[in-house]
Amino acid sequence: MPEQQLMLLASSLLVASMIVASYYVIKAKDLVYASGALAILGSLNAAFIALLGYGLIAAFLVIVYVGAAVMFIIVSVSMLGGAPIETWEPERGIISAAAVAGALGIIVVSSGIYAAYTSPTSPVDLGRIASLIVDRYLVVISVIFVALAATLIEAIAIARRRV
Amino acid sequence: MVMAMEDVILGQLGFIAAIAMAVIGVYGFASSRSLVRQLLSIEVLFNAVLIMVVILMSFSPLNATLLAIALISIVSGEVIVVVAVIAAVYRFSRTFESSIMEEEGV
Repeated sequence: MPEQQLMLLASSLLVASMIVASYYVIKAKDLVYASGALAILGSLNAAFIALLGYGLIAAFLVIVYVGAAVMFIIVSVSMLGGAPIETWEPERGIISAAAVAGALGIIVVSSGIYAAYTSPTSPVDLGRIASLIVDRYLVVISVIFVALAATLIEAIAIARRRV
Repeated sequence: MVMAMEDVILGQLGFIAAIAMAVIGVYGFASSRSLVRQLLSIEVLFNAVLIMVVILMSFSPLNATLLAIALISIVSGEVIVVVAVIAAVYRFSRTFESSIMEEEGV
């Protein structure tokens, strides 16, 4: 089917772009550009998640993560100014990355979880999510709200204090 | 049957992206001594984890959505605190380098 082939082509392009964007986050010399690449990575990630059939997560990712958290990083790094010196120890990075790649590869291939994905049969709507939160996860969501409020106060206190 | 095949390919693509991003994130975190670069590397790792969570929890779409929303909220809060700490430390030592901070005893 042409539609399915188009979707798979779009997914492959998205995955390639995500890998390139994450490499640029690590390798860009200017930290502001690296933060911008993180925003692009978040948006590409949201597009891929939307292709998987989870539009609500994609919208939340773009609004909260890219729109607030990553923009906060970009603005903060811009205001703090560039960091002229940056020390790299690539040996440590290569050893750690090889270990992680080996471990993840063995886990994914040996357990067969790469075939675990099933597309949702019906779109997840806000009404069902809201009723699930109120009926089953009210305490969990309340704890998250309190923790995030405490986090905000903590961040303001840390940023205002002289070290 | 065609849909199932498409699901398998999508899942495999997702795992390829997630593993590649996890490897790049770990490489950046372990090799750079800049606090900001380490924060950005952890954010790349978070993006990898989010894709894995969505794919692995896809048997229950409602729970996958709730878990992903909680994950994104908590990570956004964590970013704010870490950037605040980096800003506070930068005002004192005028650098993002963790090795220089160690030498100065920050």
